[in-house]
Amino acid sequence: MTIDMSQFYEVFFDEAEELLAEAERLLLGIEIEDPDTEDLNAIFRAAHSIKGGAATFGFMDMTEITHVLENLLDKIRKNEMALTAEHVDAFLAAKDVLKMEVDGHRLATEVDQEQVADVKMMLKELSEAGGVVIKPTPATVAPEAPVVAAPVIEAPKPVAEPAAIAAVPDDGLTRFNIVLPEVTEKDMNNLKEELGLLGDVESSKNESNRYVFKLTTDSTQADIISICSFVLDPDDLVITINATVTATIAPVEAKPAVVEDPGFGLFEDDEEPAAVSAAVNPSVSAEKDSTSGVKIHEEVGYGLFAENGKENVEEGYGFFAPFKPHKDAVVADLIGDDTVTTEANSGKAELVKAEVATAATKATADAAASEATDRRNQGRRDSDKAPASGETSSIRVGIEKVDQLINLVGELVITQAMIEQRISQLDPVQHEPLINSVGQLTRNTRDLQESVMSIRMMPMDFVFSRFPRMVRDLAAKLGKKVEFVTVGAATELDKGLIERIVDPLTHLVRNSVDHGIEMPAGRKAAGKNEVGTLTLSAAHKGGSIVIEVTDDGAGLNREKLLAKAKSNGLTVSENMTDTEVFGLIFAPGFSTAEVVTDVSGRGVGMDVVKRNIAAMNGVVEIRSALGYGTTISIALPLTLAILDGMSVSLGNSIYVIPLNLIVETLQPRAEDIKTVTGEGRMVHVRGEYLPIIALHSLFNQHTDITDPTEGVLVLLESDGKKSALFVDRLVGQQQVVIKSLETNYRKVAGVSGATIMGDGGVALILDVSAIIQMGQTSNYLTGAKPFSHYQNQAIEHKAISKEFTK
Amino acid sequence: MSTENVSTANKSGVSAKSKTSAGEYLTFVLGEEQYGLEILKVQEIRGYDAVTQIANTPDFIKGVVNLRGKIVPIVDLRIKFHLGKVEYDEFTVVIILNLNGRVVGIVVDGVSDVMALKEEQIRDVPSLVSNIDTKYIVGLASVEEQMFILVDIEQLMGSEEMALIDSVAVH
Repeated sequence: MTIDMSQFYEVFFDEAEELLAEAERLLLGIEIEDPDTEDLNAIFRAAHSIKGGAATFGFMDMTEITHVLENLLDKIRKNEMALTAEHVDAFLAAKDVLKMEVDGHRLATEVDQEQVADVKMMLKELSEAGGVVIKPTPATVAPEAPVVAAPVIEAPKPVAEPAAIAAVPDDGLTRFNIVLPEVTEKDMNNLKEELGLLGDVESSKNESNRYVFKLTTDSTQADIISICSFVLDPDDLVITINATVTATIAPVEAKPAVVEDPGFGLFEDDEEPAAVSAAVNPSVSAEKDSTSGVKIHEEVGYGLFAENGKENVEEGYGFFAPFKPHKDAVVADLIGDDTVTTEANSGKAELVKAEVATAATKATADAAASEATDRRNQGRRDSDKAPASGETSSIRVGIEKVDQLINLVGELVITQAMIEQRISQLDPVQHEPLINSVGQLTRNTRDLQESVMSIRMMPMDFVFSRFPRMVRDLAAKLGKKVEFVTVGAATELDKGLIERIVDPLTHLVRNSVDHGIEMPAGRKAAGKNEVGTLTLSAAHKGGSIVIEVTDDGAGLNREKLLAKAKSNGLTVSENMTDTEVFGLIFAPGFSTAEVVTDVSGRGVGMDVVKRNIAAMNGVVEIRSALGYGTTISIALPLTLAILDGMSVSLGNSIYVIPLNLIVETLQPRAEDIKTVTGEGRMVHVRGEYLPIIALHSLFNQHTDITDPTEGVLVLLESDGKKSALFVDRLVGQQQVVIKSLETNYRKVAGVSGATIMGDGGVALILDVSAIIQMGQTSNYLTGAKPFSHYQNQAIEHKAISKEFTK
Repeated sequence: MSTENVSTANKSGVSAKSKTSAGEYLTFVLGEEQYGLEILKVQEIRGYDAVTQIANTPDFIKGVVNLRGKIVPIVDLRIKFHLGKVEYDEFTVVIILNLNGRVVGIVVDGVSDVMALKEEQIRDVPSLVSNIDTKYIVGLASVEEQMFILVDIEQLMGSEEMALIDSVAVH
C-alpha cells in the first residue's frame, strides 16, 4: 500500500501555518514571570503537531527544528526550567524559521540555512543550559512513571530486563514496544523507516508471526500512533511502554499535587519482585479525573493498570494490578473511587500475577488479550480526541465553492424578486394564500442570503494577530515602549477585504509606532506614561466596518503641515478644516522624512494607503490632537460582493452608481447651467462650479433628454474631484450583487462591473472615478465622440469580414 | 453571395486534414452558408433575450445578458460577417459557447444539425480563401452535396478583432 503523500501536503502546510500563527499569538501573550500552563501546553502541542506532520511528510529540516524546540518547551512546561524573555525570543525566532521552511517547501522560496542553524543552536543551548541548572525535582520524573508499569501486560520482559531498564538513562527517552497487526513486509519496512525518524528502532517477529518494533525515542505514543496510522489502522496497534525510570520516583504521598501532567501511573503489587517499584503518577490524582485521558497525546503515555474489574478499563486507564490495602487508601484518594476498584481479590491477584509471569514472554492469555482490546479502544478514543482540541468545529472549504454558493443564492434572490414583482400585479384578495407563501419565501431567501454571505466573513483577528509581533519588534528596534491593544478582533469582514486591508494597516501601524509614539524620555517629559499605547480597533457602524489605528503619541501639528504643504506647492489656506489639513498627508510625496519634525515620515506611502482603501470602496479619515495622539479611521463596506447603489436611467438602459460616491442629486434650474467656451457646461451648486458630464454623450447612447434641466444631475465625488453626471432620471436605491464583466467579457471604460436587476436584466455599474476622468479628458465637450477608435475598428472589421465571406 | 466561390474551393480541396479535426460538429446557418463548430465547445442553445448594451463597443457586440447569474456577452455573427438578415424575433438563435471557461453567446441565423465528421470528409482550406480567414477555419466538409465551413470558434472568438477579451490573450 503506497500513498501519494503529496496530496496531503497542502493540508499540512495550511495546518502548519495556522499552528505557527497560533503559537506566535500565545507566545506574545505569555507572561514571563507566571506563564499559564495551558498556554505552554498549547504552544508545545503546536510545535509537536508540526513535528509530527513534518516527519510524516519527510520534511526533515522542520522536524529537526521542532524537535529541539519541543525539548526546550517540554522542560519549561514541566517546570524544569523557568521561562525567560530569552526563551520567548528564541521561540519566536524558531517560529520564523519554521514559517520560512514551510514557505520553502510550499512555494520553493529560499530558506536561509544559516538562520536555521543559528536558531537551532540557540534553542539547543538554552535547552541544555537550563536543563542543568534547574533539573530534577521529584515532580519532573513523575510523568515518566507510567512507563514503569506498562510491561506488566504486554511488554515481553519487563521483569526479566531490569538491567536494560536501568541502563536507559533518565533522558526523556522511552522504549515502546509496538506490535503490528498483519502487514506486508514492505509496509513494515516503510513503517520502520518512518519510526526511525523518531528514534532507534529494532524490529523482530513474535510468536504469532507479527512484527514487533522496539522503539527508543523521546516522542510520545501519540506520535507513534499518528505515524503508524498512515500505513495501518491504529486500532490494530498494540503499543506498550518499557520502563525507563525506576527508583527515582518519590513516594506518592510526598508530592501529589506538584505535577499537573496527566500521565498515568501504574500500580504494581509490592510483592512483585521486579525492579519496577510501585509508581503512582500523581498527575492522575486530584482534580484530573478519568477525562484527563484526553491529554494523553501530549504526555509520555499511560500505563496499564492490571485490574480485574472491567469498569476500570472502561474508565480509560487500563489495568490495575491488585494492590495492598495500604496503597489502596492512597491511590483511591488520588484517583477517585470509580477509577480504582479497591476490592482487590487476592485470588484474582494471584491469577494476574501468574498472567504477568506468562505474559513476560507471551501475551496470549485471554484475559490479557481482551483487556488489551479495551485498552486499544481507549487508545483510539484518545487519538480521536487529540486533534479536536485545536480546531473543534470548522471545515476547510475551497473559496470557489463558497463563491459559487453565494452566486447561486444571488440568483435565488433575483428570482425571488421577480416572483414578487409578478405577484404584486395579482389581485390580493383572490390570491391571498399565494401572496402569503411568497412573503414567506422572501423572508427565507433573505435569511439564506445573510447566512451564506456570512460564510465569507472572517474575524478581524486574522489581520490583527500579525501586529503584536510587528509592534513588539519595531518598538524594540526603536527603543520605544509600546503597549499594543486590540479591540473588536471578533468583528467580521469579508475575506477578500481582509486580505487587502493587511498592507494598508501594516503601513499605518508601523507609522504610528515609528512616528506617532514618542521616545520614553520624550513621553516622560510631556507628562505621559513612558509606555505608549497603540490601539487597533474594529467595529461595525451601520453598513460598514470601521477600523481604527489609534496612538497616544505626539499627534499631528496643523501649523507644520500647512507650512510643509505650502513649501510643497500645494494650495492651502488657513481656513481649511483640521480634517482637510490632516488629509494633506495623503497627498503623494507629501511629508517625507525631513521637515515635519514630530510627525516626520507620516506621509510616506500614505497616498498608497489611501489609494488601496479607495479601491475597496473605503474611506480614510484622520483625527488628531497635538500632544494627545492620532486616530486614523478606515471605513470599509462589509463586503466586496454587494454594493449599495443608486440606479439611474438613461434612454432605455439602467445604470447603477455606487451610493457612497454620490454627494447629492439635483434638478438644475436653467440659470444654474453655464457654458464655458460655448460648449462645455458647468453647473453652479452652492458657490461651486462643477463640470457636467453627460452620460449619454459619454456612452454614445440615445436618449430624448439632452437638456440638463429636464434630467437629473448626480453630484459625484471621487479622488477629491467633483463632477455632475447628467442622466435621465433616478430609478431607486438598492443593494446590488456585483458581477464581474471581465469573467466572460473584458474591461469596459467607465464601467466597473455589472449586476442583475429584479427583472433578470443586466445593469452596468458605473466606475465613477473613471467617468470623472473621462469627463475631464475626453473631447465630448466639443461634440466629437470619445472612443471613436471603436468606430474605426468596426469599419476595419467590415473590411475583414468581407474578405472572410469572399 | 459567395456560394459559388466556396463550391469551387471544395472541388479544389486537397489532402485530408489533421486528425484533430474529425469529430462531432454543430452546424449552423449564416446567410446562405453552412458552418460547423466543434460540438464540445457548445454549452447550450437558447433564444435571443433582451441584451444590455455596452457603451462604445463595436456594433456586432450586442451587449451582455444574464445567463443564470453569469454576465455573458452576445456577439451577432451576422453583423460581424455581414451575412443574413439582422432581425431579432422568437426564432433568433443564440449558441452559448464555453471556450476555455469563458462563456460567450453568438447569434446565428439558425442551427441545423449535429454531424459526426470523419477525417476523410474534411478537406483542407484551399489557398484561394484569403489568409486572414483561413486561420480561423479548420477545414471544409462536404456531406451529401452540402458544404460546411468548419470554424475554429475558439480562435475566432479569442481573436483581437472580436474585441471580446482584453488585449492580453487568454490562451
